[in-house]
Amino acid sequence: MDSEWLASMSTCVQCLGCETACPSGVPFEELISRTRAVMSSNRRPPLRIRLGLRLLGRPRLPRWGVSVLAVAQRLHLVPRTGLLPARLPLGGRHRRSAPGGDLLVFTGCVMDACQPEIHDAVEDVLVAGGRSVERTGAAVGCCGALHAHAGLHEEAVARAGMVIAALPGDRPILVDSAGCGAALKRYGGLLGTPAAAAFSARVFDVHEWLAANMEVLPEPSGRSAEPVVVQDPCHLRHAQGVHGAVRDVVGPYATLVELDDEGLCCGAGGAFQMMEPELATEVRGRKLAAIGRAFERSGARTVISANPGCAMYLEAAGLEVRHPMQVVAEALEDRLGR
Amino acid sequence: MSDLVAALDPERVQVGDVARRLYSRDASVLRGGRAGVICFPVTTAEVSACVVAAVAHGRDFVVRGAGTGLAGGAVPCDEPVMIVLTRMDRILEVDESRRLAWVEPGVVNLDLSRHLGGTGLHFAPDPSSQQSCTIGGNVANNSGGPHCLLYGVTSAHVLAVEVVLPDGEVVVLGNEEGDSVGYDLRGAFVGGEGTLGIATRICVRLTEDPPEVATLLLDFMSVGAAAETVSAIIAAGMIPAALEMMDQRVVEAVEPFVNAGYPTDAAAVLIVELDGQPAGVADEIMRIGELASTHGARSVRVAADEGERERIWKGRKSAFGAIAVIKPDYYLNDTVIPRTKLAEVVERIYEIVEEQDLIVMNVFHAGDGNLHPLLLFDAREEGVMERVLAAGEEIVRVSVAAGGVLSGEHGIGLEKKRFMSLQFSPADLEVQSRLRAAFDPDGRANPAKVLPSGASCGHVTSLGRLPEGTWV
Ligand SMILES: Cc1cc2nc3c(=O)[nH]c(=O)nc-3n(C[C@H](O)[C@H](O)[C@H](O)COP(=O)(O)OP(=O)(O)OC[C@H]3O[C@@H](n4cnc5c(N)ncnc54)[C@H](O)[C@@H]3O)c2cc1C
Repeated sequence: MDSEWLASMSTCVQCLGCETACPSGVPFEELISRTRAVMSSNRRPPLRIRLGLRLLGRPRLPRWGVSVLAVAQRLHLVPRTGLLPARLPLGGRHRRSAPGGDLLVFTGCVMDACQPEIHDAVEDVLVAGGRSVERTGAAVGCCGALHAHAGLHEEAVARAGMVIAALPGDRPILVDSAGCGAALKRYGGLLGTPAAAAFSARVFDVHEWLAANMEVLPEPSGRSAEPVVVQDPCHLRHAQGVHGAVRDVVGPYATLVELDDEGLCCGAGGAFQMMEPELATEVRGRKLAAIGRAFERSGARTVISANPGCAMYLEAAGLEVRHPMQVVAEALEDRLGR
Repeated sequence: MSDLVAALDPERVQVGDVARRLYSRDASVLRGGRAGVICFPVTTAEVSACVVAAVAHGRDFVVRGAGTGLAGGAVPCDEPVMIVLTRMDRILEVDESRRLAWVEPGVVNLDLSRHLGGTGLHFAPDPSSQQSCTIGGNVANNSGGPHCLLYGVTSAHVLAVEVVLPDGEVVVLGNEEGDSVGYDLRGAFVGGEGTLGIATRICVRLTEDPPEVATLLLDFMSVGAAAETVSAIIAAGMIPAALEMMDQRVVEAVEPFVNAGYPTDAAAVLIVELDGQPAGVADEIMRIGELASTHGARSVRVAADEGERERIWKGRKSAFGAIAVIKPDYYLNDTVIPRTKLAEVVERIYEIVEEQDLIVMNVFHAGDGNLHPLLLFDAREEGVMERVLAAGEEIVRVSVAAGGVLSGEHGIGLEKKRFMSLQFSPADLEVQSRLRAAFDPDGRANPAKVLPSGASCGHVTSLGRLPEGTWV
């Protein structure tokens, strides 16, 4: 393992576009994950990244940290990067749900702390459709996706064990972050136990679940919404293969505009944008060009993305990005009586 | 090395062991030597500087696009300077009214047509590798593609080329108007396989999108019946935009990946694409349907919408990539035979392969008789290479004997140069080597390729009797 080899292995953003493209079905994710794990046992990722990831594992810390950052942001003390949403919540806005709903909504770590309004939108839509919802909440915490992505295999396995233990039963687990959803669906393979496989089988991307249960969604109120450009997160399109569901679910409520780049990565790639900032920016440049073409064609000004990592990274480049479920929730607002 | 670093920047000159190994292969099974220094120029001036530096230090140079070539054209032999053009990937100018575009050589074929989306124009040559291969590589190999049956291969779509000659001088061959004054040097350069110089800017002709397109899927219970249908369509005076054949093994390999609804129990399927004015297309659909049923087609399906069309084509274009489902290695042969001999020669290919106890997949541009038998094998199996080579050689002989030619579109490269004398007399070859010398008197540009008289390349000169482990 010389430095040249390490460099070529660590510059893979792991978008998994190659898996989608490969007619022979080479299991690239498996190969690169194992390679990364070996690499990080020889050469650990930088300390600041390991520390940051460790914090994610401590359920209540992210929320607290975000409140501090939110204040700093308003005082213009925080540079604008792709790692944080443009405007963090000041805290105290977290809704709680009573235990015992028919569906679990996985709230995660970063997203729970930074963008609780997305979980709110998911909950609003499901409740409007007559379902009851329980949020997994801060006690369950991080799914370990970023750890796995950075090659921190042991930490990823540990997080998986904790999440599975914290969510027993057989209720479906709906996820509104494509990266977390992909990670939760991989627990079966990661731990190799029947319990983990059974857990993974309960996991659905929220759009995937809704598309299979369309009767839950109320009729659109006929309000003609502004067109939105659909960005397919790699973890939705390549890892989970359920990007079509976003179209099924949002289609009735808004005019969708497709990109012409066949699911090109936006460059965020979990911790990739921190480890390889230049390359990530270059990749994002191509994405921005495709989005620019779509804006020009359609007059749309907003992008929808089902993954917070992509959303923040694109926002940092000056775009307005929303979660698909926010668009649906907004279209249903009248009905929700807000 | 220091000259190259001075001309480019250090980050764009690589000599690491991983890079040298990576850039020593293309998409063929051929192995030559190792790459020497690998350069990634981004301007014509930088390309010229690379050439000058190589020649000044007595090195050969090999230009490389995406490395999807199947004849070893971009495989290095004697530690040459590798000039990789993937970073020259800008579309410089699109002139919609004059239907032309200037592009850099590293532009990926499909990216150009995608970029033209909405203008009603596209770049017609569409090799199955179009999502990866570069336009520079297309020019160098005079590549074809399914739609070249009607629209012609790359040469028909290149108006002018800016070339860095093997002494570093920059010239422009051809012009935007596409009429040649004096000798057509542009025509001589296209298909030069990197032996005549380096294309650094290309002016391509753009083709109008047809008003109506229909894609048909015909299926047959025998390969012979499918082949006869191909001959009958052409004999009836129709030239479809594309006319492709895939045999059962190909269909079985790609169907799980594309879900196009290909009949996996058919011995062969034909993909026929018709384009033009709606009335003409409708009429041709009828006529082809009739011809197909008189030749024993089991069914004729017309794609109902764009999605279905795309899936049918995706299956065809994924054929090579699906091979690893069956075996880890393949050797693809590319010969052309007269269309009237299709049934006979394809039958003979199955026999040859049977005799060598190998597996073959047949997927090819049937409309112009361009065969692509893929021999599948596992190189780790003892003695398998000898059988693969013997079968490959026999296929070439049978094709040439049937009145065909050595290569349809993949070029000669390293792979076929030993067969050149099957098709050309010594006088023919001598004239070709004089043409080459006119561009490259010192023999520095990709010297070991194409002509049998050129320099030798590592082990590959004796393809028939390879030492252990020279192929993977
Ligand atoms: C899956 C698959 C499907 C394919 N399908 C087809 C098909 O349908 N039709 C077809 O014709 N081919 C096909 N090919 C072969 C190949 O893709 C084409 O020959 C293609 O044009 C090569 O382009 P490249 O950029 O990869 O060139 P490379 O492989 O990098 O180079 C090919 C040759 O061109 C020379 N060269 C490259 N760039 C330049 C330049 N700028 N100036 C001068 N010389 C240059 C190189 O020295 C070399 O000799 C296929 C290959 C694969 C792997």
